[in-house]
Amino acid sequence: MSAEKKQIETVPLPPKSAEIITTACDYCIVACGYKVYRWPTTAKEGGPAAKDNALGVDFPVAPLGPSVSPNKHTVVQHRGKPHHVLILADQDTDVVNVGGDYSALGGTLAKKCYREDGPTKDRLQEPLLRVNGRLTPVSWNFALDVAAEVGLHVVMKHGAHAFGMKTFSYQYIENTYAITKFAFLHLQTPNFSLHDTPADVTSTPGFRDAGFDNFAPSYEDWRDAETLLICGTDPYETKNIMFTQWIMPGIQRGQKTIMMVPRKTAGVAYAEANGGMWLDPIPGTDLLVVNAIARIIVENQWEDQEWIRQWVNNQWGSSSGFGQGTRNTPWQWRTTWGKFQTRGFQEWKDWLLNQPEFHLDYASKLSGVDPKKIRTAAEWMAKPKADGRRTKTSIMIEKGFYWSNNTGNTNAIASLAIIVGAGGRPGQMIGRAGGHQRGMVRGGKYPRNLSPEKLPGRRRRSLDVDRYFISGHTRLAYVIGTPWLQSSCGSYQLRDKFEELVTRNPNQVISTDKTKVIETLKKRVDSGGTVVFNQDIYLVDPIGSQFADLIFPAATWGEESFMRANGERRLRLYNKFYDPPGQAKPDWWIVANIAERMGFPGFDWHSSSEVAEEAARFSRGSRKDFYMVKVAAGQEGKSLHQKMNEFGTTGIQGPVLMHDDGRLEGTKRLHDVNRVLPKTGPAGANRFNKKLTAFNSQTGKLNLQKSPWDLFSDYWHWLSPKDDELWFTSGRLKERWQSGFDDKRKAILHQRFPENIVEIHPADAKTRGIESGDYVEVYSDRVPGHKTTLLGVEAKDFQFSELLKNGHIELTRASVKAVAHVTPAIKQNVLYMDFLRTDQPANALAGRVPDWISGNYNYKMGVARIRKTGESPHKHTFDFFSFARRDLA
Amino acid sequence: MTQNFQNASCMVSRREFLFASALTVSTVMLPFSGFATSNQQAMAKVGTYPRRFIARLEDLKEHQPIVFEFPDSGPYASNILVKLGRPAGGGIGSDQDIVAFNLTCTHRGGSLAATYKPENASLGPCPLHLSSFDMTRHGIMITGMATESLPQILLDLEDGNIFAGGVLGLIYGHHIE
Repeated sequence: MSAEKKQIETVPLPPKSAEIITTACDYCIVACGYKVYRWPTTAKEGGPAAKDNALGVDFPVAPLGPSVSPNKHTVVQHRGKPHHVLILADQDTDVVNVGGDYSALGGTLAKKCYREDGPTKDRLQEPLLRVNGRLTPVSWNFALDVAAEVGLHVVMKHGAHAFGMKTFSYQYIENTYAITKFAFLHLQTPNFSLHDTPADVTSTPGFRDAGFDNFAPSYEDWRDAETLLICGTDPYETKNIMFTQWIMPGIQRGQKTIMMVPRKTAGVAYAEANGGMWLDPIPGTDLLVVNAIARIIVENQWEDQEWIRQWVNNQWGSSSGFGQGTRNTPWQWRTTWGKFQTRGFQEWKDWLLNQPEFHLDYASKLSGVDPKKIRTAAEWMAKPKADGRRTKTSIMIEKGFYWSNNTGNTNAIASLAIIVGAGGRPGQMIGRAGGHQRGMVRGGKYPRNLSPEKLPGRRRRSLDVDRYFISGHTRLAYVIGTPWLQSSCGSYQLRDKFEELVTRNPNQVISTDKTKVIETLKKRVDSGGTVVFNQDIYLVDPIGSQFADLIFPAATWGEESFMRANGERRLRLYNKFYDPPGQAKPDWWIVANIAERMGFPGFDWHSSSEVAEEAARFSRGSRKDFYMVKVAAGQEGKSLHQKMNEFGTTGIQGPVLMHDDGRLEGTKRLHDVNRVLPKTGPAGANRFNKKLTAFNSQTGKLNLQKSPWDLFSDYWHWLSPKDDELWFTSGRLKERWQSGFDDKRKAILHQRFPENIVEIHPADAKTRGIESGDYVEVYSDRVPGHKTTLLGVEAKDFQFSELLKNGHIELTRASVKAVAHVTPAIKQNVLYMDFLRTDQPANALAGRVPDWISGNYNYKMGVARIRKTGESPHKHTFDFFSFARRDLA
Repeated sequence: MTQNFQNASCMVSRREFLFASALTVSTVMLPFSGFATSNQQAMAKVGTYPRRFIARLEDLKEHQPIVFEFPDSGPYASNILVKLGRPAGGGIGSDQDIVAFNLTCTHRGGSLAATYKPENASLGPCPLHLSSFDMTRHGIMITGMATESLPQILLDLEDGNIFAGGVLGLIYGHHIE
């Protein structure tokens, strides 16, 4: 029989003498607590009796016990000597992954670690320079000297705008701090964006303008809600433990869970089978469904009137603070533009009731959601109970929702939250579920005033770095920990421009003579070409393998100690427990060394903890404010990392406050209107931010805002499928959460999805002759891309229909290959793919038209045709993939 | 030897070491192709045990599972034998559709008894954390939390008799095959 993926080996058990090091998972927002058991390979292994192993349990272990498996074990080098490590979810934790629950991602953390004899052996280990088209090892000194000289030349001759940076937002506080200190404080380049946005803009403009923090809730709020509306994600698919430890227990206690997402996965099926409901909107129509729900609520006067009276800005509050100073922030121009701001509940209600598109019939027709379900959702969320008591309702959103109609959807949902009384009480919260963990502390401020991008009304907006690159203005692209091209909409437009500016430029390095290398790269820059630096843990195609001139190998999770927060602002120390491969260095070290060579001061750090200590000050007032932890560390004569290590896997939730006796207190939830802070005010270095007990707005109260459909509807109608097109959308697959760095090097995960898939409804498949396991081409000649213009003068200049009329929208063609999975789990007339496979990037088919209010991408919006091209080997063999249904409860 | 499907239960608090004796381990060289960064052959070990009679072929009806214990007796040793009605990896019989799997979820030891879904050829969702496994594809996880596929029981067919002879994969709770 064929059994190649079923490797078994004996899993060595840790002896009593094994060291135990705490950390948290490297992957999703939830950040489960883990323990690393480490012992030298020369030591005697532990035995199956509890008295003979460090786990203190008899083998075989009981259900829910600390079970081991081949994928939880590896051998690493620690101080140059081979050591066993067994990486197990912390069985003792009572936060996050209570009792040691784990996912297929975190459970296989051991397989992430570098091993010279395993699938991770291709980690980048030394700096590389492209010479005659081939990546050639060079020394750190050589690489850093070249980088600094070319970087300095670009800034001096072409300006800071020409120095483009594209970087992860999440890969640890020490690294992001160093990167942003370099980019903002010293370079001052507006040509900067994070891995998942085209520009340095907020993910949730509607939240920001209403006054909601993205990550205000604690995980217990998701459990304690009586009705939970989840928009644009299935947490079981993408944030596993948040579902199994916090939402499933809620459902088991009677929570009514409403999942609004066009694709039914196991969590949706579970909710539906246990008293919940699935709302299945056509991509981009969420706003209509949300406002139809809101309309039913206000028509029936089910809104939380007491909450609205107490916490919603009236006409005086709405305008408070305006009329003075610059109106040059995104928040100010959005709220004063007249399209969103209201004078309070009554005006908002009048507006809502006067929009015909929010009628149940219209909303239901466009969204394809059963009107009965929309009505039921309104009842579950807001209809008072027989005894007059209100239902505790919470709302969770994530990218499927806020990347469909970024401004409109987030405005609409914020208003719905406000009227159902969600936002500031236990079990009554609104927040993002989260994607990556929260690892950003900014070492400077984004220089928006230097951005050449202007919106109508002379308001500057953060620069769309993709459009700027496509327009040919970026002379140097420094790309850190992201594939950039495939993670942007309209990926192929970017790829074509990289080929033109980098590969086809005649100035290519042909020797390792440092002077000549620098000279050549300067010539490339001066001739209108682009030089590319890429910093990562693996060689990524094409940004590293095809385009990078210089590659810097980065050290990552487990190879250096770092800090980061999870989706309930829980800060932990992620301890180093093994040696980084080769000469790989943490990102902060690499950036600091380039910065120093460019002559910038303040980068002379000697340890990761030193960077964190400097960053602490910049966290003040933020949701992950850990400044007082640093103060406590100082008082106790410890480093910040030493102090953080004391919190183990429990960590501490930001913002952190210090009592007079030196005791540190975390923050369970933000906007906690029931929280009582000391009446005497903040003592010492404590800072009481408004959002601790009120909201992030001009008054501390909430802004109830309009969410007009017509700012987006022209795009939606233009995009809507023509002829045999189908809606095209994408997202994460559970087993491919990590999108191709670690997961394709973990056999257990790779065998599940060795190639990209496209989910297609049986009715759509049948008419096209497509069966599960077929190879298909998913293609479109209607991929719109906003190009060239950065200036809007008249109010509507950036509206899609105006851009189209004025020739600023370029239609391009894209095609990706996939294996078809025919399943009723995807809504009819919609295709769904894994969003980020570097070989077959779904984002190539997503319209590259930033939301014209926020500047963010609506990644989930696209259309495509699909046709069968043949049969994949997986159709009739049994080793890879599964075409079984994932939506069964 | 066989027992009623519904009566099977794997949930125990503690149990004795499962594979105490009679264990032999055969090492098989298997091609490990299609893997992103590695074309080398991987060593796969398959635990083999004294062959045990499970059922007569003629008694096995499509979608009517038989639960049996293997390689030992006891809770984690509960397995399911099914004629799926469609060909499967490792399937025996003229239609290659007879397979057997261990009934303990590899994630955290939940019982997959009574979770067989005939129309999906799957086991699960596990009542604990909802993992489910594809019985046509060597127990690969369809969706869920586990770090290992569901152990497949290696079957033999001889003179109309079905025998279990080995376990492909590590059964939950153990550290050695």
